[in-house]
Amino acid sequence: MPEPLEPVEEGRAIAATGAGGATDLAMEEGETLEKTPGGPKGTGPESKARSLWSDAWHDLRRNPVFIISGLVIVFLVIIAIWPSLIASGDPLDCDLSKAQEGSQPGHPFGFNGQGCDVYTRTVYGARASIQVGVFATLGVTLLGSVLGGLAGFFGGAWDGLLSRITDIFFAIPVILGGLVLLSVVSNNTVWPVIGFMVLLGWPQISRIARGSVITAKQNDYVQAARALGASNSRMLLRHITPNAVAPVIVVATIALGTYIALEATLSFLGVGLKPPTVSWGIDISSASPYVRNAPHMLLWPSGALAITVLAFIMLGDAVRDALDPKLR
Amino acid sequence: MLLEVRDLHVEFHTRDGVAKAVNGVNYSVDSGETLAVLGESGSGKSVTAQAIMGILDMPPGKISGGEILFQGQDLLKLKEEERRKVRGAKMAMIFQDALSSLNPVLSVGEQLGEMFVVHKGMSKKDARAQAVELMDRVRIPAAKERVGQYPHQFSGGMRQRIMIAMALALEPELIIADEPTTALDVTVQAQVMDLLAELQREYNMGLILITHDLGVVADVADNIAVMYAGRIVEKAPVHEIYKAPAHPYTRGLLDSIPRLDQKGQELYAIKGLPPNLLAIPPGCAFNPRCPMAQDVCRTDVPPLYEVTESPAPRSSACHFWKECLHG
Repeated sequence: MPEPLEPVEEGRAIAATGAGGATDLAMEEGETLEKTPGGPKGTGPESKARSLWSDAWHDLRRNPVFIISGLVIVFLVIIAIWPSLIASGDPLDCDLSKAQEGSQPGHPFGFNGQGCDVYTRTVYGARASIQVGVFATLGVTLLGSVLGGLAGFFGGAWDGLLSRITDIFFAIPVILGGLVLLSVVSNNTVWPVIGFMVLLGWPQISRIARGSVITAKQNDYVQAARALGASNSRMLLRHITPNAVAPVIVVATIALGTYIALEATLSFLGVGLKPPTVSWGIDISSASPYVRNAPHMLLWPSGALAITVLAFIMLGDAVRDALDPKLR
Repeated sequence: MLLEVRDLHVEFHTRDGVAKAVNGVNYSVDSGETLAVLGESGSGKSVTAQAIMGILDMPPGKISGGEILFQGQDLLKLKEEERRKVRGAKMAMIFQDALSSLNPVLSVGEQLGEMFVVHKGMSKKDARAQAVELMDRVRIPAAKERVGQYPHQFSGGMRQRIMIAMALALEPELIIADEPTTALDVTVQAQVMDLLAELQREYNMGLILITHDLGVVADVADNIAVMYAGRIVEKAPVHEIYKAPAHPYTRGLLDSIPRLDQKGQELYAIKGLPPNLLAIPPGCAFNPRCPMAQDVCRTDVPPLYEVTESPAPRSSACHFWKECLHG
């Protein structure tokens, strides 16, 4: 049954939407037209095949929120890796005689209570924050989505057990848990803090991954794949994961910002990172008693922290808008 | 015989009790034969098909008895891994809604090619070439250009063709089509059914066509099995059943088809609702809705009476099949 090739007016509407209320016959004609070389309406960006990801990217590139937050994050990552690019000094090179002094040539942000250069310390502080944020998010996402995804896919007793475990972890107050668990650690690196965040953070992602895997599992195409002989691992990796990963990515991006804030909170309380590690949280903590005499000591690290957290949360928002077409 | 279902029982264990979805179904399909399984929603026609394919969700589903012989081998005794190799390669299924049965994030070429990658270990490139060939075979125009497109870029009829192509990919011996044309509009329905019937002849496959559309059945089926409340109530060659149904339920179904010569009259409808599977009425399950019901129908489950033996075997599960056939 050859498809008719004459152009029909429905062609345009169908080319743009790909589905709709037009009759099927007209749609088939429309589609044929869409692919006819030199067809009047067959060209243009709409007729190109776009996957979910390229579609999301297409949206993101036009979203000013994404561009601004993306630029801020790229800048932060660069100075986290190479802080000496924009700060020539040493954050641990301090001169007590200059303690709490304000802005002066060569030291635009002034000095902190120990006489260290606030500008240099603010720049170097990005490293700890980005490290904690990125690695905690990676760990949480990997652990949470694997556990939650498997529980959602296989269901049954393991799912029940895992759900109860996540409930238990949800019941642990984060700050209190941090005070208890981290106060016994004497390691000065960022890793105990990251480990603590992964330990308390995975249930959040696990729940989301479980839910979206259960939703994706019920789709007919997963049943269809099964009816055509796909194995469990194939269904999970090829048919379920790509359809379940978007909510996880969105929550993980937003969570990244909150982990950075959490690191600063824990450091402020004295159980997160500890000197000589340079961290915004530590600087905020040591500056807070002098906020009336020398507000600049508090202003710069907390401003940097706020901008960083905001950038990640805005990025998460933009990614969510792009990945969830229902919100448009 | 290609496929023989013997005394199949399927139950669903739910919070409210045990729903008996399939209660002793027997049917068989030979190579090249089309068996239409007809029935309302909840009559157990799809559940039987899922049990044959081995894609029943268990739990809550449970096959509580019977045999499914495929080429002489009882599928219910196979291990899951062996079962999986049968699916797709030897028997395949076409689903009702092609849009939701295709993965939205994979291009149709990837999904078609997957059949060859999974079952034959083909490389991605070869699989793609095979996918184009399959799309040509189900007459999708410009297959070469369209192989990289996503399901949402195809119309309903085209998507169902892709589903058919996927089912046919490995040239299975049996195809189960679960209401393959319900989601399509009438003109496209006919095209898709014609294509399916033609490909079936070409490959000499057995086809189980699950439907509630008597119009679709008349053109393509060889035999009809009518199901009600998990049982087969009538089995007959297609032209016989249209001429004279031997079960009041079948008669009711045929009478509720709108006809041109009854213009202006009220359309017949079978009164009442299909039974709740948690509490199937005793005796003949159809008795509360049956215009011919007598006392015996409320107490005795009618066996499948033989109506004619040859040349075409025909049976009916009604105590009064003679009256029905001649009345």
